[in-house]
Amino acid sequence: MTDTDEVDFEIDGEELGDAPVLEIPSDRLSLLVNDLHVSYRVFGAKKVGHGPAQDWGLLGRLVRRGAKQPPVREVKAVRGISFAAKHGEAIGIIGVNGSGKSTLLRAIAGLIPPASGTVHVAGNPALLGVNAVLMKDLTGARNITIGALALGLSRKQVNERFDEIVDFAEIGEFVNMPMKSYSSGMGARLRFSISASAVPDILMIDEALATGDAGFRAKSKAKMDEVRKAAGTVFLVSHSLATIQAMCNRVLWIHEGKLVMDGNPKEVCVAYRDFVHGNHAYKVAQQKKAATKNS
Amino acid sequence: MTVDQSAPSAPPEPPAPLERTFSEESVATAVAENDLEQIGVRPTLGTYFREMWRYRPLVQVMAISKAEAENQNTYLGQVWALVSPTINAMVYVLIFGFLLKIGREGIENTIAFIVVGVFMFRFFERSVMAGAHSLQKNLSLVRSVQFPRGVLPTAGVLAELTMLVPAIVVMCVISYLSGFLPIAGRVTIDAYWLLLVPAVLLMWVFSTGCAFISARLVAQTPDIDNLLPHFMRILMYASGVIFSVDRYLGQFSWGWIMEYQPVAVYLYLVRSSILDEPAYQPDAFMWLMGVVWAVLFGVLGFLFFWAGEERYGRD
Repeated sequence: MTDTDEVDFEIDGEELGDAPVLEIPSDRLSLLVNDLHVSYRVFGAKKVGHGPAQDWGLLGRLVRRGAKQPPVREVKAVRGISFAAKHGEAIGIIGVNGSGKSTLLRAIAGLIPPASGTVHVAGNPALLGVNAVLMKDLTGARNITIGALALGLSRKQVNERFDEIVDFAEIGEFVNMPMKSYSSGMGARLRFSISASAVPDILMIDEALATGDAGFRAKSKAKMDEVRKAAGTVFLVSHSLATIQAMCNRVLWIHEGKLVMDGNPKEVCVAYRDFVHGNHAYKVAQQKKAATKNS
Repeated sequence: MTVDQSAPSAPPEPPAPLERTFSEESVATAVAENDLEQIGVRPTLGTYFREMWRYRPLVQVMAISKAEAENQNTYLGQVWALVSPTINAMVYVLIFGFLLKIGREGIENTIAFIVVGVFMFRFFERSVMAGAHSLQKNLSLVRSVQFPRGVLPTAGVLAELTMLVPAIVVMCVISYLSGFLPIAGRVTIDAYWLLLVPAVLLMWVFSTGCAFISARLVAQTPDIDNLLPHFMRILMYASGVIFSVDRYLGQFSWGWIMEYQPVAVYLYLVRSSILDEPAYQPDAFMWLMGVVWAVLFGVLGFLFFWAGEERYGRD
């Protein structure tokens, strides 16, 4: 293990240690998602998402003066997903870019209302994403206070855990600098430690572990295990199959907003890898074909 | 032309989607057995109010942070919170008080009159705009953590109130000093000045209600954000910020609406506390109106915002 500040997305499986994925058997459900559909509005979109454009009618066409696409598009990001999660499970979510992984997490966290279907949870879910920049004009210290209070901690708890959060994030004296001066790794570490400070019932991590060095990843894994031992459920979205296999005991594969596979990590990851590699090989072949045709 | 025989001729297909749904009964049993709660639905009004109360430390911290961060990127920093409304007021004094003279009709101390009007209206205007932008500006927080969204407009207005306090000191000093000019009426410091505190507090409650309303409107229809500044401009002229409403609009049959509309009422209350204008004497009915508007807008604004709670952050 090195302590350099490199950011590698294909994490070496061995780096995460050989410790087997923690098994915490429990029969009690912590999360129940039934036939979940999520869609959201996009302003100024040209053509996005799946399915045909909605019909705007005569008035709509007049307003947008003959533009081909309406200015507001409804994107169907999640199209009918059902699953149940148990306490203590670590669930990895994989899928190609734009397949609806992050939207699914947001819906489970209660941040996007479902278009139809239901989500039932035990306790309070917290979502942690790399892109969730807190407030970049404010110092790290302020962000810790605001983030922790927003997670539902009391003032007293925030004061008690403040030092712990700073130490865990390894940001040192940067804590008194505005967050816009942070490196991407520092920002991600700070967000992770804020989210983990509340020991939420359901912790959702959106590609956060890709940022941060090897040492931090090992600490993150320890924190995830802590949440799971406290009977919490962990969701992890990552493009690194090594991370998923090292940390999860169940994997969901999402494709175009639908659940296509749900099972043990090895099986699903192998199938997913074959699919991605097959897709890549196909694209390369197509390009070759096009190139030879043109020459 | 050679074709690589080993290349796949079609893209690989992912496994067929698992088309499964749980039956409603099984969901109901599982929910009951594991004490699950449905999320993504609006909390009841009582729960929402209690939650808002529980999150008041967050409101405070966000308000202070916002007030501090406001002028962070300038050399003078927080001094701008005082300088900028002063310059703003001086421009109005110069144009409406001395060039156009409409700010002098029926007013003894034009400078104090316009300065108080501009400072207080600015607070209201900035509060409404803060509410309008509160969800958009904190979108990353809204998209990562679940907390009552009403915290955001409330904190936005509280930040404006925090910045208003030093501005009020400047406003009082200017008003008092202007009384020594030969052209202006005297401003005396008396016990009525204490009424400034309840007047500002009532205006704060009213502004918070308005911020709730603007927050939901802009969250649902972002286009309204472009109309708000124009609406504010109209309201400024309709509220007697720089001239006496009574004098100019009192002659019309609908003039009384302009006199008793909320913003005009709060300007009246603040002026009656500080200034010694004969046309702005402390008035019990105006105080009653001030309380009524604050309660009405506070409650309606909260209800209006709550009714859209589950949809914020979706776009």
